[in-house]
Amino acid sequence: MAFTLRSVKVPPNSASLEEARSRVFGFFKAACRSIPNIMQIYNLDDVVTTAQLRSAITSEFRKNSHVTNPKVIDMLLFKGMEELGNITEHAKQRHHIIGQYVVGRQGLVQDLGTKDKGMSDFLKSFYRSNYF
Amino acid sequence: MAMRAAILRHIRIPVRSYALEFKPRELNLSGGSLMRFMSSHDEHLTKEEVVERVLSVVKSFPKVDPSAVTTDVHFQKDLGLDSLDNVEIVMALEEEFKLEIPDLEADKIDSTGLAIEYIYNHPMAG
Repeated sequence: MAFTLRSVKVPPNSASLEEARSRVFGFFKAACRSIPNIMQIYNLDDVVTTAQLRSAITSEFRKNSHVTNPKVIDMLLFKGMEELGNITEHAKQRHHIIGQYVVGRQGLVQDLGTKDKGMSDFLKSFYRSNYF
Repeated sequence: MAMRAAILRHIRIPVRSYALEFKPRELNLSGGSLMRFMSSHDEHLTKEEVVERVLSVVKSFPKVDPSAVTTDVHFQKDLGLDSLDNVEIVMALEEEFKLEIPDLEADKIDSTGLAIEYIYNHPMAG
């Protein structure tokens, strides 16, 4: 129900890691092939190139490359397909795409730095995130 | 109906029957020099052009060292990429040459040599 363009190609269980792996590559290719369509929908031609979007997709895949359980891989594939379906059917907006896939984490939050002058390093790391 | 026939008669291309004068073995000219007057399928890419474009795609890949790229370099063994990078390079080549490579063939493309060979032999390479 969530995606109109993309039917769920992931049956409940991949039999083995090899099958999950081939599904991952199939999904990667489907995502790369839909890049020109995405750039045309959201008018991203002057913001980013196809190659940059492709590397953004690759790095998203690489974040989960340590997973070995085929069921977890299936679940991640399902979520990925849902995301791709949402993007291609224009359920997202331009700023979503730019914020999530074009600009990295540092680009979104502008750190002015002027109020941090007297602060210790501990406090700076504390404000940035929970884990340091 | 009659007008259609009249128009067709005017734009009809004279059929050349030169084939009848040649012996069969002389027809097989090398380089595929058929004389197909209205075909747009004969502008195949030359091998040098394919090589140049394939190498430029591989060299512009951010993880690849451009000086290590030759016409027969293996992506995973020589350039130190992993399988996901391999698939990404194949997708970049698909985009460059406006092809769609099926999965069976794409899995075999492991090096620049194989990529060049596949694209050169593909009739729809643009």
